[in-house]
Amino acid sequence: MNPKILLIIPALNEAGSIGRLLEEIKTTFPQADRVVINDGSSDLTAEEALKTGTCVANLPFNLGIGGAVQTGYQIAHEQGYDIAVQVDGDGQHDPKLILSLITPILEDKLDLCIGSRFLDHDASSFRSTAARRFGIRFFCHLLKLLTGLYLTDPTSGFRATGKKLNGIFAAYYPVDFPEPEAIKIAKRRGMRIGEVPVQMRERRSGRSSIRPLATLYYMIKVTFAILIDLLKKKS
Amino acid sequence: MQPKTFAIILTGTILLFVLNLIRREKMSFKYAVTWLVSSLLALLFSIKEVWLQAISKGVGFTLPSNFVFFLLLIFVLLFSLLLTLYINEQNNRTENLAQTIAKLDFRLKKLEKDGEIKS
Repeated sequence: MNPKILLIIPALNEAGSIGRLLEEIKTTFPQADRVVINDGSSDLTAEEALKTGTCVANLPFNLGIGGAVQTGYQIAHEQGYDIAVQVDGDGQHDPKLILSLITPILEDKLDLCIGSRFLDHDASSFRSTAARRFGIRFFCHLLKLLTGLYLTDPTSGFRATGKKLNGIFAAYYPVDFPEPEAIKIAKRRGMRIGEVPVQMRERRSGRSSIRPLATLYYMIKVTFAILIDLLKKKS
Repeated sequence: MQPKTFAIILTGTILLFVLNLIRREKMSFKYAVTWLVSSLLALLFSIKEVWLQAISKGVGFTLPSNFVFFLLLIFVLLFSLLLTLYINEQNNRTENLAQTIAKLDFRLKKLEKDGEIKS
């Protein structure tokens, strides 16, 4: 039986690039269903997505990346998808790598598989700014300290999840800057977590939701959230 | 004017104002109850200031006015904590509503696309 795969594509004002990304996905990975979560865009993101024959879930106003992605996990959970893959709507994530991302889950080796920019020592791929790399390394060590699990790229939003984790994330998903905290939640629920190497591309248009000045706030907020998660129940 | 008369007029007005808000359905009882209790207490203490003096002495305040300020501060703090809780609850509810709308929208679009219903 073929596994049901849902690609969750959160997008905020990505009208300039979403169409090309969706066409690319259609040719490289036609076997998966796609849903664009339009997080209250003020441009033609939804229309551009619909043109490619992709279903769009329009949020009536902006919820932030966490709320948008969670909507995708809720759809995956409620409609019984076996695997959900998060792909950023800005084109940073290469659709050709989706297959390597879901393979460990298909083989039942992992419940959460994260695409890491830092596993593969290929200098040509895009690896973000110095300030952000510092933030990323900080979370690597924090997660290692608290969970014993060492990941090279805990802030990567390019990730695939299995059925069990889709249900967990459908019920609770962190609000803003959710990626590292989501790993901690998955770990607490006894999920198997791992990484596969990916290359990321520079964004084609629009701007990242994480501005340089916000990096410090990001680090404090996420650290606090991860520490709070320590106090939550195991199961 | 005597300070006592002034205090009674002021607290009485606040109490009437709160009651009027409830009567006009501007404030539900759930949210008004804190204001009702506190303005009732304030009115009671301005009528029977000897009770206030006795209590403030009992808990170790030299000046009853300090005791009043202390009570006010605690009340404002607690009330703002409660309001933060309410805001949070509202936030969660609106987020749930937004997600539910998006999911319904998604299913509707899918049905339209599959030709099961006409747009």
